[in-house]
Amino acid sequence: MKFFFPLIFISSVSTVAFAQQDTTRKDSAKQLKEVVVTGTRTAKSLQQVPIPITRITSEEIKKRGLVRLNEVLSEQTGINILDDPHGQGIQIQGFDPAYTLILIDGLPLIGRSTGILELSRITTNNIDRIEIVKGPTSSLYGSEAMAGVVNIITAEPAKGFSGGVAGRYGTNKNADFSLNSSYKTDKFYISGFGNRFSSGGYTLQPASGIPTVSPFSGYTLNGKTAYRFDDNNSLKLSVRYYTNDQDSRFAVEDNRFASGKGTEKDFNIAPVFTHRFSKKDVSVLQLYRSVYKTNSDIRYEDNNNVYDQTFFNQTFNRGEIQNDYAIQDNLKLTAGAGAQYETVEATRYTKQQSFTSGYGYFQADWLPVKKLDVIAGGRFDAHSVYKSQFSPKLAASYALSDKFTLLGSAGKGYKAPDFRQLYLNFTNAEVGYSVFGYEEAKAGVEKLQQSGQIESILIDPSTLKSLNAESSTAFNFGFRYRPVSKLYWTANLFRNNIRNLIETAAIAIKTNGQSVFSYFNLNKVFTQGVETDVTYQLFKPLQIGGGFQYLEAYDQDVLDQIKAGKVFTRDPETNITKVLKRSDYGGLLSRSKYTYNIRLNYNDDKTGINTSLRAIYRGRYGYKDTDGNGIVNRDDEYTNGYMLINASVSKLFMKDALRLQITAQNLFNHKDPQVILNLPGRLIYAGIAYNFNKQ
Amino acid sequence: MYNFKTLSLALGAAVLLFASSCDKNDDTPEPAVSKLTTKTVNDLDNVATATTYFSLATGTQVTGADTASATKWDLKFKATSIFVNSGTSGTGTAQAQIVSSTFDSLTDAPTSGYKADATGAPAISGWYTYTATTEPQHAILPVPGKILVIKTADGKYAKVEILSYYKGNPSTTTATFADLTTRPASRYYTFRYAYQGDGTTSFK
Repeated sequence: MKFFFPLIFISSVSTVAFAQQDTTRKDSAKQLKEVVVTGTRTAKSLQQVPIPITRITSEEIKKRGLVRLNEVLSEQTGINILDDPHGQGIQIQGFDPAYTLILIDGLPLIGRSTGILELSRITTNNIDRIEIVKGPTSSLYGSEAMAGVVNIITAEPAKGFSGGVAGRYGTNKNADFSLNSSYKTDKFYISGFGNRFSSGGYTLQPASGIPTVSPFSGYTLNGKTAYRFDDNNSLKLSVRYYTNDQDSRFAVEDNRFASGKGTEKDFNIAPVFTHRFSKKDVSVLQLYRSVYKTNSDIRYEDNNNVYDQTFFNQTFNRGEIQNDYAIQDNLKLTAGAGAQYETVEATRYTKQQSFTSGYGYFQADWLPVKKLDVIAGGRFDAHSVYKSQFSPKLAASYALSDKFTLLGSAGKGYKAPDFRQLYLNFTNAEVGYSVFGYEEAKAGVEKLQQSGQIESILIDPSTLKSLNAESSTAFNFGFRYRPVSKLYWTANLFRNNIRNLIETAAIAIKTNGQSVFSYFNLNKVFTQGVETDVTYQLFKPLQIGGGFQYLEAYDQDVLDQIKAGKVFTRDPETNITKVLKRSDYGGLLSRSKYTYNIRLNYNDDKTGINTSLRAIYRGRYGYKDTDGNGIVNRDDEYTNGYMLINASVSKLFMKDALRLQITAQNLFNHKDPQVILNLPGRLIYAGIAYNFNKQ
Repeated sequence: MYNFKTLSLALGAAVLLFASSCDKNDDTPEPAVSKLTTKTVNDLDNVATATTYFSLATGTQVTGADTASATKWDLKFKATSIFVNSGTSGTGTAQAQIVSSTFDSLTDAPTSGYKADATGAPAISGWYTYTATTEPQHAILPVPGKILVIKTADGKYAKVEILSYYKGNPSTTTATFADLTTRPASRYYTFRYAYQGDGTTSFK
């Protein structure tokens, strides 16, 4: 709690006489002007853009008392947070977290050492809004944008001198504090933001002696500046730095303890130059460099010997130019080209590896008649290591009336093989198996052969086919319906056919009986389902809403084997083998067939009191295989479905400049310590935020 | 009238068909009487004896001097390893292979594909999974649909389905089983098998 006092001090100094407003409080007429940029890489009205897109404003996030990206996304319709030990990522349309691209102001975040990008790395205190596009947008963004894109759009400063402080503190010593200030004139702005996020961690299974989440503290610093030379030329620079230290301490064996520190660092810099050739023709030149590093050093406490030492360093450099040209009022062309250079270096890789790639993309946005908007585009990616990719896309929206818009799209998405799949060179010291990335397999197996560790070769590494990117073909079809200004209803049907999923398979048997694994393009899977969401302003202060998703995600090869009668299970009582029926197959792990949420928001303008209540249900999902057939089918292989209740009450003071808030997450303290690692139980927070603006 | 005609035609045809199928049956010689023995062995104890020998022909455990015999035992259990009486495991000629099937639907033993035990390459492997840290933790669970087909030491065919590695063939989905302090003792094999004594590959 010691952080509170200086913050309150700052706020009381600057309280006097500044004009206040809660920036984004808006009436419903304003909603019609809602603009999104992520779906097409150009500003476009939310009602018209022909692909499924969700827009979450900073104001909604604040009313819910949320401060980190994982908290915000966990409450969205059609999104599940997965609790992998390597971090919390999101599942969209049944895809694993590695298949959703995470952007800040349109630029990709890196640092997916195991495919997951830890979402709690990202603060939502300095943002204007979050846009979520579902379905493949590889036609614009390239690799990783197979399930969708989450674009965090940081706030632009208001004119004059502004500033603010915000703090939230509660259960598990979770603390989040932010400070921001900015100055803006007609031609120039500069803004700075700092955030500290820390936690005392928690332990779901105290008997194990290993904390589920160890204590950590992280800092985010973000600076932006922009200068407009004249009407046609402007320059913008943004810099972001994130660092996080985590202290681990756990029991290893016989009352011995290991402890140490893990550090994560992320640095991004992006200068952007915009030039307007004419009102109709605008070019944007963007440079981007991102560096991501982790380092961990865990030692035995008694003799200081190394227990585990790892590092992972990644850099990403890009230059890109995009041109938007409006040929006519109803035809806009977008074209872009870029080059990228990436490097990675890590404990389990033989040496520093590098990639070079180049790409070009094109998009036409055409309104042949006023009601019909057709977007056609494609992107070509050429890469130094894996095969080139072409990702086309066609989307259209048709306004049956001002109130009802139909939308449909078809497109391809892809995900490049990740660094592990290409370069891993790892032998498990305890168990004795080895895993080689595709590029390392030949040399790795030869080396083992020379030292006499290979019993038999199953697949000759020299015959391995070049690893291909995973790819999908996706279809989305839905509508947006606003019959009256109080009601907004969306629905979307989706189907994703995914090919060339990269999986491990044994290529050799070692003399110790263990296998040598490498990576292959193996499986074909598909996901399909429907998602719908509705918001209704029941009467003036009370808004209700709800969302629902039905999802099926199956491995096509397993379905074929079931059809052929080659998949078996055991009767849990008699242990006798039975042939598995199609209806018993539960699909891919961690996919809930049913998820829904219910939302209530009561906003009393007179008193400035806002009450927000959300119920989020996640239906049962398979999380393990216990009958040994490799798939989910028996009841004991599922978790129980569960509901989380989150609530927040806030009151505004001093002409809306000051907000005091109590927030509860997981109010009914649901826990499943064996299965769900990211549910520490009930979390209660107290929060305070103060903002000012002086014109 | 017409209806009656068709009916009588149909009836006539049916009678003819029936008669001809009877004829056919009469032509085929009576099959030899199957000498199939089907049995379930409960809790074969691999605790009292570290290595447990079993004869499929007699359906009993083999002990003493007979364990050195080339023909008096077929299978040898040692913790999670199952060996056959051949190669590196015994003086006999028993061989085995694993077939993916249910026990009942495997009506004929394959005619080829059998292997003797060799160093690092036992004829029977992969019949179980070890759960490690997945619940139920640290359990040995037989993989469903892995039927061990044995060409026995006396040249006969048998099929074996391992049901459990734990005493009393317990359900492995209960909390009692998941809890390591209440889980029944391991190294008690329950399996069912069918032994064809007539020397054919048929399990009917």
